[in-house]
Amino acid sequence: MGLFDAFKKKGMEIGSPLKGKCVSIKEVSDPTFSEEILGKGVAVIPEDGKVCAPADGVITTMFPTGHAVGMTVSGGAELLVHVGLDTVALKGDGFTIIAKEGQKVKKGELLMEVDLEKVKAAGYDVITPVIICNSDEYAEIKGLTDKDVNAGDTVIEIQK
Amino acid sequence: MQQFSYTIKDELGIHARPAGLLVKQASPFKSTIAVDTGTKKADAKKIMALMGAGVKQGMTVTVSAEGPDEDEAIEALKKFFEEAL
Repeated sequence: MGLFDAFKKKGMEIGSPLKGKCVSIKEVSDPTFSEEILGKGVAVIPEDGKVCAPADGVITTMFPTGHAVGMTVSGGAELLVHVGLDTVALKGDGFTIIAKEGQKVKKGELLMEVDLEKVKAAGYDVITPVIICNSDEYAEIKGLTDKDVNAGDTVIEIQK
Repeated sequence: MQQFSYTIKDELGIHARPAGLLVKQASPFKSTIAVDTGTKKADAKKIMALMGAGVKQGMTVTVSAEGPDEDEAIEALKKFFEEAL
């Protein structure tokens, strides 16, 4: 437990926002994410549509269409959770917004709910990139990929 | 300071992809670059701010650059907006 506590002082742990499988960001077919244009991170192939806060923090941007959310984690990391690819085109259909912009959230708190079947039926990929937008501010961003996760299981480790 | 107004043509407005590319365009310049919707002003070098500004098709935004390389910045941004948005 000693090592774990020492790590926590220096870095941040980001949990999966969804239950599913965590994979490398390079597996995302959209280059905006796979080429790390928005920052470094991982992607989760969701099994269920409950999008939970990956860490304690504040919601900085709740997209009006409910398909993506931006938050600043307590340790300073700026996180983007983008449910599905090109899902902005759905204009909110299939997405229910729960948390509000400016709201302080605890890790695990429900932010949005997605009707995965509806989104898939409309022809969209539901893979969800989880990106650290201010990646440049950190020495190391490590993705813990190729594993099944529950919402909240650590998927990214950030070192300052 | 240099600025120009632009009406967004892209059906989806400034969403993740163009926001990411805009940040890439804006970041190398020394000048402060902002996108003002009238209600929200976003730092064009901050992806979160841009995406959260909610810029939609049909909106007219004012893009401004202020600093030592503002002329080049504005030219590059004008071109970017016309091609990407």
